This record gives sequence, structure tokens and C-alpha cells, in this order.
Amino acid sequence: MTDVNWVLIIIGEIMVIWGAVCDLIASIGLLRFPNFYVRLHALTVGTIWGAFVPLIGVSLIAIGSEFLGDYRWFMAGAAFVTATLLLFLAPVGSHAIARAAHKSKAAVVYPKVVDKLEEDREKGEIR
Amino acid sequence: MDLETHVTTVLSAIIPIFIVSIILYSIRLFKGPTIPDMVIAVDAISYDLAVFLAVLAIVFKSPILIPCAIILMLWAYALDIYVAKYLEAKEYGD
Repeated sequence: MTDVNWVLIIIGEIMVIWGAVCDLIASIGLLRFPNFYVRLHALTVGTIWGAFVPLIGVSLIAIGSEFLGDYRWFMAGAAFVTATLLLFLAPVGSHAIARAAHKSKAAVVYPKVVDKLEEDREKGEIR
Repeated sequence: MDLETHVTTVLSAIIPIFIVSIILYSIRLFKGPTIPDMVIAVDAISYDLAVFLAVLAIVFKSPILIPCAIILMLWAYALDIYVAKYLEAKEYGD
């Protein structure tokens, strides 16, 4: 059993470290990118790589750590449920906020090459 | 090195990275030129705090910290949907 626990813990720690590094990269990107729609890319890096992957890693660590007692199954299950819900709900939220920001012109697309969606809205083809 | 000290050492070494990224996200939250920028900064802080709480639950060996992660994640999603609704229709939903 101890070898299985070591394998689970090493895999989980690699996933948590990778998630922390991706969180740092996403925060630097959110700070440095020029406009809202480019910053949205940094946000999704921070949600999937920076939150989903380390939560699965925490779940694996909790399964492998026998010193936590019987409550480790509760911790592993709750972390897995959080990760699954986050995988479904975070992209929905970021798409909703991007659509609303473009429709209400709350965020200006300043350094841009072309914006076909805005041209179609001005011609009245789509609402 | 036994299993418990290994897990505690590695996870304690990771904690400063999370704190630094939360600080960088909050700079964008206070600086953000438009409302959607602030909203995505709050989202990122909430997801980051959820992971941070899950890691702290392992380090402190306290399972009571884990349900807070679920609540934080769902709260960030609700904030997204409410702000999107307000920006599109200029009203809050019923």
C-alpha cells in the first residue's frame, strides 16, 4: 500500500506545482496584456491550468495521505467535485461576460486589427 | 523522510507562489480601467483562493476547510452571470 500512496502523492504534487506556476503566469498576463479581450485569455489559463489541475492534484494527495485519517475520503471527494464543477462553469462564465462586454460596449477594443462582429452589428445583420 | 513530512514540506513551499499571484491579481482589480476587467480579476482571485484553501486543508490536516472551496467557486460563477445580465439589459434579474 505504501508504494501506491507514494505514486499518488508524487503525481498530485507535480500537478499542484504545475498549477501554481500556471497561476503565476496567468497573473502576470492579466497584469500586462493590453485590453480586456486579451486579458480573458490569461483568465482562462488561470482557471483551467491554474485551478482545475491543482484541485485534481489535491484530490490525489488526499487519497494517498493516510495520516489524515478517515476524513481523507471526504477531502478527496470534495476537491474532485469542486474541480468538475469548475471545469463546466468557468468557461460558461467567461463566455457570458465576454458577450455582455462586447454587446454593451463596456470594454473598448483599442489595439485592434479587425472586428467583424462590430461591423455586422452596425450593419444590423445581427443583434 | 516519511510521507507526512514530505507532503507538508512540498505544499508549504508552494504557498508563497499562490500568495504572490493573488497580490498580482489584486493589482489588476484596483487598477482595472473597465468593469469587466474588475469582474474577471475577482473571478481569478476566487478560483485561486479555492485552490489555496484546498492546499491549506492538506497542510493543516483540517477537512472543514474543503467546503469553502465549493462555495467560493460557485460564488464567482454567480457574479459572472449577474454582471453579464446587468451589462446587457441594464437591470438585475428577478
